[in-house]
Amino acid sequence: MLGILLETMHGLKIRMYLDVPNETRRLMWTLAHAHGGLLGLIHLILGLCLRIVPEIGSRHLRMISTSLIMASVFLPGGFFLGGIVVYGGDPGLGILAVPIGAALLVVAIYKVARGSATIETTTSTSGKSGRRGNS
Amino acid sequence: MKSALPIGTIVLALIALGVATTVTVTRDTVTLEEDITHRPIETPSDGFVSSKTCKSCHPSQYDTWYGSYHRTMTQVATPDTVLADFSNVRIDAVHGEPMHLEQRGNEFWAEFNDPGVDGPADDRPRITRQVVMITGSHHQQIYWYATGHDRALNVLPGVYLITEQRWAPRSAVVLHPPNQLVSTSNGHWNAVCLACHTTFPKTQFDTPFLSKPIEEQVVDTTTAEFGIACEACHGPAADHVRTHQNPVTRYRRHLGDQPDSTIVQPALLNPQRSSQVCGQCHSVWEFYNVEDERYANTHGFPYRPGDELRDTRFMPQPMEQADSAALRAFIRRDPDFVNGSFWSDGMIRVSGREYNGLIDSPCFKNAPEHGGSKIMSCFSCHTMHKAPNDPRPVSVWAATHQVTAKMDNNEACVQCHETFDTNISQHTRHSAESTGSLCYNCHMPYTSYGLLKAVRSHTVSSPSITETVNIGRPNACNLCHLDKTLAWTGTQLNRWYGTASPQLTVDQNEVAASLLWAMKGDAGQRALTAWAFGWNPAQQVSGTSWMLPHLTELLNDSYEAIRFISYRSLRTLPGYSDVDYDYLAGREERITAVLPILQSWQNSILARRRREPELLVDNEGHLRIDEFARIFNQRDNRPLFLRE
Repeated sequence: MLGILLETMHGLKIRMYLDVPNETRRLMWTLAHAHGGLLGLIHLILGLCLRIVPEIGSRHLRMISTSLIMASVFLPGGFFLGGIVVYGGDPGLGILAVPIGAALLVVAIYKVARGSATIETTTSTSGKSGRRGNS
Repeated sequence: MKSALPIGTIVLALIALGVATTVTVTRDTVTLEEDITHRPIETPSDGFVSSKTCKSCHPSQYDTWYGSYHRTMTQVATPDTVLADFSNVRIDAVHGEPMHLEQRGNEFWAEFNDPGVDGPADDRPRITRQVVMITGSHHQQIYWYATGHDRALNVLPGVYLITEQRWAPRSAVVLHPPNQLVSTSNGHWNAVCLACHTTFPKTQFDTPFLSKPIEEQVVDTTTAEFGIACEACHGPAADHVRTHQNPVTRYRRHLGDQPDSTIVQPALLNPQRSSQVCGQCHSVWEFYNVEDERYANTHGFPYRPGDELRDTRFMPQPMEQADSAALRAFIRRDPDFVNGSFWSDGMIRVSGREYNGLIDSPCFKNAPEHGGSKIMSCFSCHTMHKAPNDPRPVSVWAATHQVTAKMDNNEACVQCHETFDTNISQHTRHSAESTGSLCYNCHMPYTSYGLLKAVRSHTVSSPSITETVNIGRPNACNLCHLDKTLAWTGTQLNRWYGTASPQLTVDQNEVAASLLWAMKGDAGQRALTAWAFGWNPAQQVSGTSWMLPHLTELLNDSYEAIRFISYRSLRTLPGYSDVDYDYLAGREERITAVLPILQSWQNSILARRRREPELLVDNEGHLRIDEFARIFNQRDNRPLFLRE
């Protein structure tokens, strides 16, 4: 939706988006759109991973999901809010939501990584026992 | 399979290395500014950090400044900045000083007669020098070449007129007495021009300019930034940048209303000090003494925006200080110090010195010192940064003297003079829609001269034929009503405003004022009159059918600049837009070109359209040549050099 809005403002040459004094706004909203899209992709990738390797989220699925959803709100949302009111080269105070979103994203990624590491350890241990049993 | 991988990786790495090497070797090398030795360089210092630092936090202000002519006042000569054609061309327009221009890659070179050798042009040796810097980008470009001695620059013999896309001798683009050489001082830019055309310059001559041959001087000129950049008006920004790198500080500033003590905001200064920010350049000024000049030479000009400008600079005000010892001392050193820039009553008469006009205006000087909201300043009408809600493109705003939106009409004046907001006709005695009801036209008429045109006086005044009679300055009424006499104007002013008329001569009673200025005025009066003949409001009011013979006379004026202006005005007359005439041609050639023009007018119906005696025509519409000659023989031929 944001992408459609931005494209529309480009197409109609809306000054409050395109004029030089609004350069910071344009940057913030472009970042909001980009981060929203990227986080959407991350959601898709996580979903596919969970489908293939459900064990990734076996222990902290709720935390991973919640962190990622909230990161998807705070990161692009922070950029968007930061572009509503700008101060020359500085975004508005809404930008403060961005580091919060970034931290939540880091938490989600960390938990996924921990989950992945746990699976490898378990698999390698099981694999060695199995081979000894069959020989 | 396993062995293919390392080989493949090695091959890819070699390809990448080859590409990187090729790109590095073949790309243009960039010489660092600090390594340049043959021209002045930009060296931010003393707290000046350059406009590049401002851009990231102030993109809007940077953008409007970037589109202004302040930025391009001084530029390094590059393919992006040079407007003249340098593609292996020969320029003969500069009499006796042919130039051959050449572009070598990104460098611009000129071959011309050596200015350092006296003698006939044909006998002087030719030299080839690199053009390294440029002054101007709006009306003219002046090209400065590296002399080869330190950072000293000298100027090409020709100036490029941008609109006309032609070259002209330097003597022809200023109002300069004919047959007098325009001084070609090696190092002039370094010593004089940079003061107002760059930001925080240091001339850095080891001894005062012209104290000895420049070849014996050390010239190490630097400046914080070429052009008139952000810090010229806002002061050095290093503290401001350092302080505001902290986001907490910045957001406190954004969300609060505390003034910022780390930078100067001219619009927030009182009218006197804010106008001085502009006045540091847009004025006639001098150092008080040699010591001050020497200090500025080495340490840079001490004035900072917000300071009292007169603490470090002598600002002549002949209107008020005619008897001041300081002014008399300057006149003793330079007899033309006043005459070259001011009318005889002390009003400024050259462009680019608007501050001298402002400070003589009642709107400025009669206002309470450091107080009151209704004191005129430069910012009453002009803005250095186009407002975001101003619909004009930056280019239009820049080309119209950076006048604030809506300040190009009576709104500029009625913001203080509210009584005239309604029923302006009652005051002007002209219809509200006419140019006669535009405050500027009566109170800031085109009586200053510069850049081959008339410029509005910035001394706000009221029309007066007494001034015209006593001083010679054209009055606002007759600059529009070109076909009317001074007596006619006096009658109107007396009837409408009770203004007393001075004693007038027979000619002032019977001959159109513009014709008296055109025929017997000094060069400055003639230039203003020639311009007025091409001014659309004056043409609308006075008609144009009678103008041609007077313009053709001015086409043969001895001053090249007057001929140029006359030609430009001639081409605005209906039916004469394609007239072919070279204002730089020799006298015989010019006369030969002009005669058919005059003949065709005399044979046309235009010649018989106006038969008023004040236009020097008889009852049958024929020119009264005898009267022409009589008045012409009274011409003020005193040499006049207006120091634009």
